[in-house]
Amino acid sequence: MKKCLSLLLAAALALGLTTAATPVRTMADDVNITLWTYPIGNWGNAETVDGLIKGFEEANPGIKVTVEYLDYTNGDDQVNTALEGNAAPDLIMEGPERLVANWGAKGYMVDLADLWDDTDKAEVNAAVQSACFNAEGACYEYPVCMTAHCMAVNLQRFQAAGADQYLNLETRTWSTEDFINAVAALYAAKGDTVATIYCGGQGGDQGTRALINNLYGGTYTDPEHTKYTADSEENVKAIQLLYDMEGIVFDPSIVAGDEINLFRQGILDMSFCWNAAQQNNNANNDPGLTNDGDEIVFMAFPTESGDPRLQGGIWGFGVFDNGDAAKIDASKAFIKYFADGEGTDDAVLASGFFAVRDTAEGNDLSGIYADNAIMSEFTKIMPFLGDYYQVTPGWAEARTAWWNMLQRVGAGGVVADEVAVFVEEANAAAAK
Amino acid sequence: MKKKTAMSRALVRRETIAGYMFMLPSLFFFLVFVIYPMFMCIFTSLFDSNMGRNTVDQFIGFANYVELAHDPIFLGAMKNTLVIVLVSVPTVCAFSLWVASAIYDMKPALTSAFRVIFYLPVVTGSVAVTVVWKWMYNNYYGIFNYLLKGAGVIDKNINWLGDPRFALWCIIIILFTTSVGQPIVLYVSALNNVDQSLVEAAAVDGATRFQIFWKIKWPQIMPTTLYILVITTINSFQCFALIQLLTSGGPNHSTDTVMYYIYYTAFKLYRYGYGNAMGVVLMITIAILSAVQFKLGQSSN
Amino acid sequence: MKNQKSAAYRWISFAIVVILALLFTFPLYWIITGSFKTAKEINSTTPVWWPTTWTLKNYQTLMGKMKAPLWEIPVPFSQYFTSGGEKTIISSGPQVPAAIRWMLNTIWMAVAAMFLTCLTAALAGYSLAKKRFIGRHLIFTLIVCAMALPKQVILIPLIRQMSSLKLYNTLSAVIYPIVGWPFGVFLIKQFAESIPGEILEAAQIDGAGELNIFNTIVFPMIKPGVGALAIFTFISSWNDYFMQLIMLSSTKTLTISLGIAKMQAENSTDFGLIMAGAAFAAVPIIIVFIIFQKYFTRGIMMGAVKG
Repeated sequence: MKKCLSLLLAAALALGLTTAATPVRTMADDVNITLWTYPIGNWGNAETVDGLIKGFEEANPGIKVTVEYLDYTNGDDQVNTALEGNAAPDLIMEGPERLVANWGAKGYMVDLADLWDDTDKAEVNAAVQSACFNAEGACYEYPVCMTAHCMAVNLQRFQAAGADQYLNLETRTWSTEDFINAVAALYAAKGDTVATIYCGGQGGDQGTRALINNLYGGTYTDPEHTKYTADSEENVKAIQLLYDMEGIVFDPSIVAGDEINLFRQGILDMSFCWNAAQQNNNANNDPGLTNDGDEIVFMAFPTESGDPRLQGGIWGFGVFDNGDAAKIDASKAFIKYFADGEGTDDAVLASGFFAVRDTAEGNDLSGIYADNAIMSEFTKIMPFLGDYYQVTPGWAEARTAWWNMLQRVGAGGVVADEVAVFVEEANAAAAK
Repeated sequence: MKKKTAMSRALVRRETIAGYMFMLPSLFFFLVFVIYPMFMCIFTSLFDSNMGRNTVDQFIGFANYVELAHDPIFLGAMKNTLVIVLVSVPTVCAFSLWVASAIYDMKPALTSAFRVIFYLPVVTGSVAVTVVWKWMYNNYYGIFNYLLKGAGVIDKNINWLGDPRFALWCIIIILFTTSVGQPIVLYVSALNNVDQSLVEAAAVDGATRFQIFWKIKWPQIMPTTLYILVITTINSFQCFALIQLLTSGGPNHSTDTVMYYIYYTAFKLYRYGYGNAMGVVLMITIAILSAVQFKLGQSSN
Repeated sequence: MKNQKSAAYRWISFAIVVILALLFTFPLYWIITGSFKTAKEINSTTPVWWPTTWTLKNYQTLMGKMKAPLWEIPVPFSQYFTSGGEKTIISSGPQVPAAIRWMLNTIWMAVAAMFLTCLTAALAGYSLAKKRFIGRHLIFTLIVCAMALPKQVILIPLIRQMSSLKLYNTLSAVIYPIVGWPFGVFLIKQFAESIPGEILEAAQIDGAGELNIFNTIVFPMIKPGVGALAIFTFISSWNDYFMQLIMLSSTKTLTISLGIAKMQAENSTDFGLIMAGAAFAAVPIIIVFIIFQKYFTRGIMMGAVKG
């Protein structure tokens, strides 16, 4: 008897069936779509996003949205496995380096060019626009917000070490020489690590790239975004400089998120992975303060020329082609609502970054940060936005190769050789 | 005579049908979820299979395997995998045998308390355990650097997980703590089952402790040892979570195992065919190892 | 027995075992105390050994963070008939903190894997040991070769397989490969070898049916092996992070270890939350383990006698 029962139970298990039979809930003809979002400001925070989604669902009856949250450590792998498992989400929120240069280029995304009318083309920042379209004129990302990635310093530490003289808090710029002197002063005062070139992998690569490119004016790719040029003399010199500097450590055991955390904890005096949303982060203390209450000052990356080229961050929505027209249409309605419609101001505010346009269907976005001192201060460095080269083919593979290169340099590899290996690997991926 | 063959043929048929009926449920899962994917793995390893909808897989014969033989990262990963298995299997066995022999003849309550404690990391789960170890190994505020610095052993922080010299060993240590639980439980019970009359007789004859262990206890706990060898080997080959969560194979691939490198090749480099070729090589290696282990186990039984 | 070990040796080895035991309990100690620490203490750069103020805030964050329905009961096989390949849900539980759902998922997964593995392996192990059928050598060779194989080897084909069976992102995708793994069959076969053939023959001559023989004669004799296998499977599927990582992707299908790993990656700044998550994942099973440790260890030990 017991055996019979257990056999039955086993059969039930195999079918994925359990005993309870409750009334059938009819789902009418709702279209269910899923959105996967990376932690772009509060777009990674369930509470905020629930509110946004509620607004959308009220405005668009018949569409139900399920949200899943990705992180920068495993998120890419998760999307890749899902693509392989034919279970990709309908909507995804990230930047052109993933949506256009990676998944778009691999043929997984829906062309969103039909969402752009002439007004949109006029309203949206031109550089952002060009990053969201590929060379053939297909659009794989509809942009919502943008920022300039910069670095940050702990002001009290700089003052204590007498290094604040090197910071120009008015223009937020400093020279390569200033940077070298500041690190030397900080290291003399502290005798321990001042800043790290984190190279554990995954996201946050923009910080290391921008730092290295800016120090002596090197470039990462050619202006046409067809091949990688990080092996130039300027870059080699910059990497060698960082490697030789006392107080700066190439650390393969941490990723960008860890570095930010160490900076907030007061263990590091500088962070190379900073932006407006970080400056506004109030998880452990008031915005703009470390956990111990030291003041955080954001700075452009140091340059010789005095004209920094900052890495832009662009975020928006892309649609995966899962072969279901109804879902694609619902996803486009979602994009229209949040990127060019009544939900746009909330969507931008949630990200903590700047809007890519001043108006969206008559919805004025220029004043959304009017009462936020940090954000208006941040607009100072927005003009330093440089070329958005993250859409160069083979981007994802190149990023992996970049981290490996930094790890090898950190382990004592010859800089020129290792950078040459990186460029070779990256260009091989670009040529595919 | 003729009748008998007919009988036995009927018997064979009956046995075969019954045999397969009993095998059926297990065979279903085994064929569908293990053997078929393995076959597909071998098949796609002959193709230049990539991620992406707009590419067609090209048949490239054994090119992936040729490339593997010259891929220093793969060879390093293979070496790391073998290091993990060859280091952790014997140390786990020896350590758990020592702990078991130290605790098996204590008061029962004490024995079971220790058994529970050494089993804790197993039940805690590798992810939860990793959370703590990650903090302990931390370069900047980890407890190892804090204690070693406090004791004056080192004067500069050691980047445990970031230094190719230490990273793999750090992982082996965690693997070790999560592996010894079951062997200790097994050895305690095996030692308790050793025939005491033989031990006492030998002691009367003036045998040393070492002789008693080697001549009397060791042969009797041999089956347990073999079982432990098998499960620890399986366990060591499966070591993936620790690497993925702690080092992602870094720094500079020094903690890559073949298992992690397959994952890395597939989802960071998008090269499925190449990843599958690695899988096939590992498959063959492990099949040979298992067969040898099995034969050894059989002959010593 | 007496004087077998000198007193000095006893004390030294006792001391070493105690020290080792302390080291082994440390991670758990740190998780539990850490989960009650304030953000300031947990972020402190010098270790805080004991929380000065105990706070529940970390647990509140854990429970408040994400929500998922407590249960969802699908129509079996419905994924093969709907256009999107999703299961039709006939009953959906109230929204609860996602961590609770993850816990339930994990329990369901581990229990189902354990149950199915024991059942299939018991039948198959007996058959391999005692039935003289054609092809058994081939099957047994395959089993021995596949036994120690890490699942990563078949990573990509397995994902594709699950996707074509429309099982991707369901707990079944994690359970079935565990059940298919042939270690259990091997283990049970070793046990079943010792069943005397005469008993089986006698029963056969008495006209007992095959299933009847299995139930009344075979099963009681291989029971210790099944017990050992049950525990081995339960623990290894509970800890089998890899299959979960590649097969599960939505909040409501995650398991607790995957959920905690995700949380760790998402909120690397909030150690308190991560510790609370780790404690939530570890403590229930540890309590279960301590309560049932007698049965638990007995199950494991039974495996040792014959294995």
